[in-house]
Amino acid sequence: MIKFHPNEELLVQYVQGNLDSALAVVVGTHIDMCQHCKAHARDIETHLSAKELGASTDFSELTMQAMLEDILNSAAPAISAPQQILDKVTVEGKQFRLPPALKRVSHRLGDWSKVPGSVWRAPLKVDDHSAVNLIYMGAGASVPEHTHRQHEATLVINGTFNDEHDRYHDGDFVFLGADHRHSPQTAEEDCLTLAWLDAPLQFTSGMARLLNPFSSLFFK
Amino acid sequence: MMQVMPEKRVNRQYMKTNSASPQDITPEHLAALLAEVAVQRSRRAFAELFKHFAPRLQSFATRQFGNEQTAMDLVQETMTNVWHKAHLFSPEKGSPTTWIFTIARNIRFDILRKSKKNQNDISAEELWPVLSEEMSDSDDEFAIDQTILLQEITSYYNQLPDAQREVIVSIYIEGKSQQEVSDELGIPLGTVKSRTRLALQKLRELITDHD
Repeated sequence: MIKFHPNEELLVQYVQGNLDSALAVVVGTHIDMCQHCKAHARDIETHLSAKELGASTDFSELTMQAMLEDILNSAAPAISAPQQILDKVTVEGKQFRLPPALKRVSHRLGDWSKVPGSVWRAPLKVDDHSAVNLIYMGAGASVPEHTHRQHEATLVINGTFNDEHDRYHDGDFVFLGADHRHSPQTAEEDCLTLAWLDAPLQFTSGMARLLNPFSSLFFK
Repeated sequence: MMQVMPEKRVNRQYMKTNSASPQDITPEHLAALLAEVAVQRSRRAFAELFKHFAPRLQSFATRQFGNEQTAMDLVQETMTNVWHKAHLFSPEKGSPTTWIFTIARNIRFDILRKSKKNQNDISAEELWPVLSEEMSDSDDEFAIDQTILLQEITSYYNQLPDAQREVIVSIYIEGKSQQEVSDELGIPLGTVKSRTRLALQKLRELITDHD
């Protein structure tokens, strides 16, 4: 049972196409995994479309007729070549099936690299200005306590992790605001997550502060 | 391209919806128009859809862009996709207005991306596969089957057993939900689903044999 969901504002921005693209990948993947949010997003779509296409402007008969003729005589829009699609990813000998929203962008997935704390990451290059990463934490792994300058969104694809606040399972979507501290870790089970960050992590505890100059290696 | 049923034979059945006056443009009527565009490439049905949606899209696009030329581009690109891709509309997933809105949303997204001139940026279809033939929700068998249906089916569906044809016509041509068909015909939802599935199988065989 999924306990944590994107709030309505995020869903509305997602449906409008106004969300940061990388965050939209995370929200879209959650919607794939969550019947509740899938239905909610559809309701929002219905509501928005009625609102946005509810009013018409004056369209001169002449312009209208010309455009109509153009369209009826147009060639079918080109179908873009299908990208190479991965069904699953393999990390540390474990295989994970990808939800449809991730399959569609799987050609954007970079190589896995190890970061301290028994954690692996593979970047998903969505665009220039924001990043989303697949993060794999082995059993008994931890990310040092950190805070964010902006926001962090984490979606559990498979497995379980916990922080000071709660435990998170398959499909859970956790959105943390700026200056929110936490230290994610796994126990006996490993965990694959999709993580989005607005700005690099800032490590806050002890020796881990030494990591800050390298924090762009972490998930951004 | 496969032969489709002559236009006048199909039209007779839908005379009533075709002559709808502007004030009773219902989602069902719009869905029937989309089906006509998909199956018969009906220019008249498309013109009616265009007349309904183009001014609404323009109003939406003008609010979004505040630039008349870009707004007109969005209207034209959206309606061009409606003309060529009407067979991708799936009544199971929402109303025609919602479908056309999602096309416009995607086009707006791509226009905004393009203005940043970065080729590798994610495209709208990767985020929301509205117009991709093969990628529309893989868990939804209707999205895929309908592509075959609406493009090529008209000349085949007469070969179906009556019970199956009735269900297929209600769902795919008249745009009813499986639940509505179940209620109307007084048969269980499960039966509607299995008849739909059997009919789609049969149609697929007919089409494959034909090739």
